[in-house]
Amino acid sequence: MKTPSTALLRTLSPLCRSSALPWTARGCQAAQQQPSAPFSSTTRQRARERGGEKRDMRITLIRYHLQHPLTPRPLRFSRDRALRHWTIHRAHRLHQTRLQADRQATLERQYNSMAAACEALRLVDEHGLTETERTRLGCEREGHGKRGRLYRIAMRKDGVWEGVPIEYSRIQTDSPGREGWNHGWTR
Amino acid sequence: MAIERSARPLARCLRCTRNAHPRAFSASATSRLDTQPTPSESESAARPPPPPSDIPKARRDPNTVSTPAAERQLFRDQKIHPIGSRRRRAAIASTGTIPFSQLPYQCFQEARAFLQEDRKEKVQLVEQQRERIAKLKAKEVAPQDEAHKELRLESMKTRLAELKVMADINDPVVKRKFEDGEGDMTKPIYRYLADKKWRSYKREVLLQRIHQMNIIPDVLPVLDPIVSTKLTFAGKKVQHGDVVSSLTSAKPPTLNTQAYEQGTKLYTIAVVNSDVPNVEKDGYEYRCHFLACNIPLSPTNTLVPFDRLKADQVILPWLPPYAQKGLPYQRMSIIILAQPPVERTENSPSQPLDVAGIKDAGRYAERRNFIMKSFADRFALKPVGVDLFRTVWDEFTADVMRRAGVPGWDVEFKRKRVEPLPYQRKGSERYR
Repeated sequence: MKTPSTALLRTLSPLCRSSALPWTARGCQAAQQQPSAPFSSTTRQRARERGGEKRDMRITLIRYHLQHPLTPRPLRFSRDRALRHWTIHRAHRLHQTRLQADRQATLERQYNSMAAACEALRLVDEHGLTETERTRLGCEREGHGKRGRLYRIAMRKDGVWEGVPIEYSRIQTDSPGREGWNHGWTR
Repeated sequence: MAIERSARPLARCLRCTRNAHPRAFSASATSRLDTQPTPSESESAARPPPPPSDIPKARRDPNTVSTPAAERQLFRDQKIHPIGSRRRRAAIASTGTIPFSQLPYQCFQEARAFLQEDRKEKVQLVEQQRERIAKLKAKEVAPQDEAHKELRLESMKTRLAELKVMADINDPVVKRKFEDGEGDMTKPIYRYLADKKWRSYKREVLLQRIHQMNIIPDVLPVLDPIVSTKLTFAGKKVQHGDVVSSLTSAKPPTLNTQAYEQGTKLYTIAVVNSDVPNVEKDGYEYRCHFLACNIPLSPTNTLVPFDRLKADQVILPWLPPYAQKGLPYQRMSIIILAQPPVERTENSPSQPLDVAGIKDAGRYAERRNFIMKSFADRFALKPVGVDLFRTVWDEFTADVMRRAGVPGWDVEFKRKRVEPLPYQRKGSERYR
């Protein structure tokens, strides 16, 4: 996780926030504050010189996570500003929709061309000729078993799970498979 | 380019804000400054500036002061701090005259350009779809394919309507106009937006009321409202299902309907009381309080004053609703029924009903026992809208009934006493 920015926190004065601190954080705060001598001006003097006292980063982080709200503040816009925001939002949505549609179209195209290629492989024989090409060229016909060797090879699933943990060898589904456990399985 | 053109006035005014007139911009500032009239552009140009000695102390607008000197002056003279950043104030001072769509914000302008591009595409698609529909209409098909052609035409028209809406739905100006209630209901986009708004809440409430008060099975078996209604009695709004004082409802109401479909159609409006007691039957029956036919309504022609309809439209004039003493509330449902089209084509006019014929036949010209479903079925009417109010016995009801000439204003209904069954002591062997 990325460490959150503490820029917001540093601007917060410890005085105005101390009342909102939960009791668990009060000890931290007490330890962090200097034992104050009422008539001494050293702390203030030092602050003037060096731009504030140094704080422990851990305290800063704890404070950040205790006090920083999870929900961002609501958007409060004037009429025009809200309309401008809406316009930009709509344009962005439209753009995103188009990107998504393009991606979907690309996937479909790829799938279809892959399916067409597989179909072509299935119809092709040892010499790379289909049935129609054979009749056109006047070659003798071959048996059915001779066709589609390349297709069968392409469809083989050997080694696709190599290097993948065995848990993934069945596609993860919501419900268990039809046969619960294959007891006869050996590697 | 649009951005540069629109950005220029801002830059120009940023350069010479000192010379610009302090102008009222926002509503909060005008309230403070409206005592002093602001000189208009032409006026100040025509008149020579007065000598510097008698310039009255100009009141500064905290929203538009943008120079340090002006800020100081504002605080010294008016004891007001300037509002917001100096950059913002300068922008407000300079951009008041720029129309919203040309406001010089880069991201906004680019978004607008993108949306305009998209709109052009959509308009092209609309044209294309229109051409396709015309082509298909002109095409001759075999008689067995007629139904298929009709179906295709139907779906193409749906698509066309969708495209028309999609062309304009991303326009901020359209959105603003609709939110201000200035939408032109002849345009599909505004009708679409209004329909969506109605369906998002008010229609839900209406449906809930008519289901909870059992209008749906009692008056009509099914009803899918597509026309929204607002009921007013002499200018007083009545929520769906509200109880209306009998004095208020003695005068005929005005129904404000809003149809969301294009074109003028003829409608029939009926007001039915479904809780009329019938003592002989020991049950309830119906009474029609108002029935009018052939009312032309369109998205822009919405008002139906029940008392100002023509005589050839009204079958049963308004009878003031009343609930006799001792009765629970009575539901008065106002049903809007669409009259059937003359022929099954697009934009076909509605069939007018024969009012004189209905009156002569007498079956539906009688108030007592008016069965809504039978009426709708007889004339092939389709229920498209509903409104509802209730009436109870109150201190004005007797007067209202007397004035309307309705007998029974002095009758009080009482609940029939249910005699308890006599207690019979069973044989003592049962109590052990």
